[in-house]
Amino acid sequence: MVARRCAVTAAFLTAAVLLAGCAQQGVSTQGQDIHDLYVRILLLATPVFIGVEAFLLWCVVRYRKRDDRPAPQDPGSGRTLGVFFAIPTVIIAILFPFGEQTLSYVQHRDKNPGVVINVDAFQWEWTFTYVNEGLVETGKTLVKAAVMEVPVNQTVHVHLRSRDVMHEFYVPALLFMRNALPGHPNDFDFTPTKLGTFPGQCAEFCGLWHSKMTFVLKVVSPPDYAAWIQSEKAAALNVSCPTGPPAVQLVAQNTSWNTACLAVPPDQPWSATVTNKDAGIEHTFGVFDSSTEGVKYFLSPPVPGPTVATFQLPPLRPGRYYFECTIHGPSMSGTLIVK
Amino acid sequence: MAITEVQRPGLVPEPSPATRLVAWLTTTDHKRIGILYFWNSFAVFAVAGVMALLMRTELAQPGTQLLSVRAYNQVFTLHGTLMIFLFIFPVLAGFGNYFVPLQIGALDMAFPRVNALSFWLLPVSALTILSGFLAKGGAAASGWTNYVPISVQQGAGEDLWIAGLLLAGVASILGAINFIVTILRLRAPGMTMMRLPIFSWATLATSLLVVLATPVITAGLVMLFADRRLGTTFFNPARGGDVLLWQHVFWFFGHPEVYMLILAAWGMVSEIIPVFSGKPLFGYTGVVLSFLLITALSFSVWAHHMFVTGQVELPFFSVTTELISIPTGVLFFNWLATMRKGKLRFDPPMLFALGFVAMFLIGGLDGVWMASPAMDFAIHDTYWVVAHIHYVLFGGTVFGIMAGMYYWFPKICGRMLSRRLGQWHFWLQFIGFNLTFFPMHLLGLRGMPRRIADYAPDRGWTFLNSLATVGAFVIGMAMLVFLVNVIVTLRRPREAPADPWGGFTLEWATSSPPPAHNFERLPPVRSSRPVYDMRTAAQAAAEGAEP
Repeated sequence: MVARRCAVTAAFLTAAVLLAGCAQQGVSTQGQDIHDLYVRILLLATPVFIGVEAFLLWCVVRYRKRDDRPAPQDPGSGRTLGVFFAIPTVIIAILFPFGEQTLSYVQHRDKNPGVVINVDAFQWEWTFTYVNEGLVETGKTLVKAAVMEVPVNQTVHVHLRSRDVMHEFYVPALLFMRNALPGHPNDFDFTPTKLGTFPGQCAEFCGLWHSKMTFVLKVVSPPDYAAWIQSEKAAALNVSCPTGPPAVQLVAQNTSWNTACLAVPPDQPWSATVTNKDAGIEHTFGVFDSSTEGVKYFLSPPVPGPTVATFQLPPLRPGRYYFECTIHGPSMSGTLIVK
Repeated sequence: MAITEVQRPGLVPEPSPATRLVAWLTTTDHKRIGILYFWNSFAVFAVAGVMALLMRTELAQPGTQLLSVRAYNQVFTLHGTLMIFLFIFPVLAGFGNYFVPLQIGALDMAFPRVNALSFWLLPVSALTILSGFLAKGGAAASGWTNYVPISVQQGAGEDLWIAGLLLAGVASILGAINFIVTILRLRAPGMTMMRLPIFSWATLATSLLVVLATPVITAGLVMLFADRRLGTTFFNPARGGDVLLWQHVFWFFGHPEVYMLILAAWGMVSEIIPVFSGKPLFGYTGVVLSFLLITALSFSVWAHHMFVTGQVELPFFSVTTELISIPTGVLFFNWLATMRKGKLRFDPPMLFALGFVAMFLIGGLDGVWMASPAMDFAIHDTYWVVAHIHYVLFGGTVFGIMAGMYYWFPKICGRMLSRRLGQWHFWLQFIGFNLTFFPMHLLGLRGMPRRIADYAPDRGWTFLNSLATVGAFVIGMAMLVFLVNVIVTLRRPREAPADPWGGFTLEWATSSPPPAHNFERLPPVRSSRPVYDMRTAAQAAAEGAEP
């Protein structure tokens, strides 16, 4: 049994070494700082672990009962207890400042961030609004993960919100997560230092498809970033679809519309039929001048799922408009063409 | 005289099975209620354990094989809920019920009928929560922490979850009041507070936590029900409420709850290590002081569960969390110092107690990472937390519970559990436990979030998940060995002596099992080890008489 215990200890020591190796490096300056903190705590915890487990094993081997003589009945002294209280106190006194130092760096906000992104989380998708570029990126739940593209070596500021329940923005490679809370927006910065594509996903349980609420962080060079912004903007302007009768059909499923483009004839009343297939989730249908929602032409009451509702809409002048489910925002939006 | 003392079995007929059943259902004897606690808790343990195996089977490989996403979300919610509220807490209360009156030399608990009520609420609570599986939309599926607003969206299973927990909460509050009064008022002559057996101290500290913290969650559950069904908006930000209020209410109870789940296990281990080392507990005063410090400090650390919300005062809760590791560290030193220069015997209770010390240490140390907020940002809500909670509640509490089972089984049943099967049980549980939960640290570091029903094959998590699943089935085998051990032992005749281990405390001064009135006569209590004193006095008298 003693040999087995030694083997177990050896296994633990190996595991401790592996644990150090398995901690991934951060791909941002903040993440790298957190990685360094991980190693510092490991350096403090490993001697405690080895010391206690080794002493335990030593007692097991050394003090196994071999005869019937009674053990010395030592109830312990106040002085020893003083030492017992002092040892962990000293360790904590060393540990705490390390943690605070890293924390102040991770919490630091850049006054002039290179990119500002509003991140909206909802069941079960992400929307990334590039505030200065006027660009909205989103995914399609269970079909395509949203991509958050950012330039390397520039501070990215994230303004994080939730539209429904609690979610959590988590990119393992950044060694960072932060809750998206309804009613409490959160702000944080990160500065990516490594080019590449890094998976991210919701880390706060948010209902049925929580495990599929993924996204991708893509870190590119500044020229690639500029080119990507241009092409995304052009693509948004080039959306087009043929005009049909003054009655459109829309289907909402898995918090996505079945189309990103609607077209109706000008200057006549038209109708919109909304089929909501999301059980337990409400959607709305709203028509605005643009994604900034400066002018509201129509907004339906919430359509509970699963039901079908038809709305009559006022005539519109020829032009390009923006439609959206105001509950789920830009990820459930598209272009309305009147021509 | 001799004639009147002759037993005449014909005059007292064997009670019929129906009479015996009624006697069990209506009992107010603390020992019988304790046994009912054990049966009920281990039944829940089996159900929640099967749920764990279902989850591990599903997660062994990417893709959906066994449980639909909907079923997985219900199963992980009920696994946590049942294990925490209806296995660990009640089984510890069962030990308290059976042994606190015996340890303090009392006839029964202070309020025997209230005691029966607190037990009978528990099976009703468990069945209410489990009946969610029959409800439209299935059982509760918001995690054992039941965060809003997701819990407001759920179907009727969620209402059953709330009702079940309200019942369990009332049961634990009634039980805690009973323990406090029993320990403060019913101690035998000579049993001063600083001679109180350490397990009874742990039960007292636990009861203080329950009385102070459980009413808070009870209020929270009522508020949640009102939000769901009566149109209030405590937690609805769109109408002036706040989602974080639930988390504050939940964790103000929830962190003391962690100590409610471990203090009694510390108490058991602090009884067992001294007995099997042949020495008094090193630093009894230090252990009592640590228990009380932890009880007090546990009310100041709740928001460390909320670091990642970005909405709490990080340095304050970081400092209090790290401070609580000081009295916890002292416990380790005391256990080790008790063993030093002892005469160690490795019967199954001691094996599990040593396993407890070795494993709970890991659960304490991996918590240090999370106590540092910046580090917590990297590992909170990942499998690191799942590893941590299981190293504390399984590596800690369940090893402690098993140590207590092997230690006290002869007292409860009058029969010794098999030593050989006990050793098999220990090693299978020890290996299976580490195989299951150690890889979860690495999964957490590699970014696997908790509570996900599925993961993509390209994330590099598959091997470690498969390993954890193998470990979970090894734990399952360990539990089968334990079950076989109990069944085989219960079929043997009652032969256990009153004091099979050379115990120290008063429960070993009476027969195994004890008579209905607990003691034929109590030894004098002049230290925290009255039975040890009695034994050494008898030995000294025998040696004195020899020459």
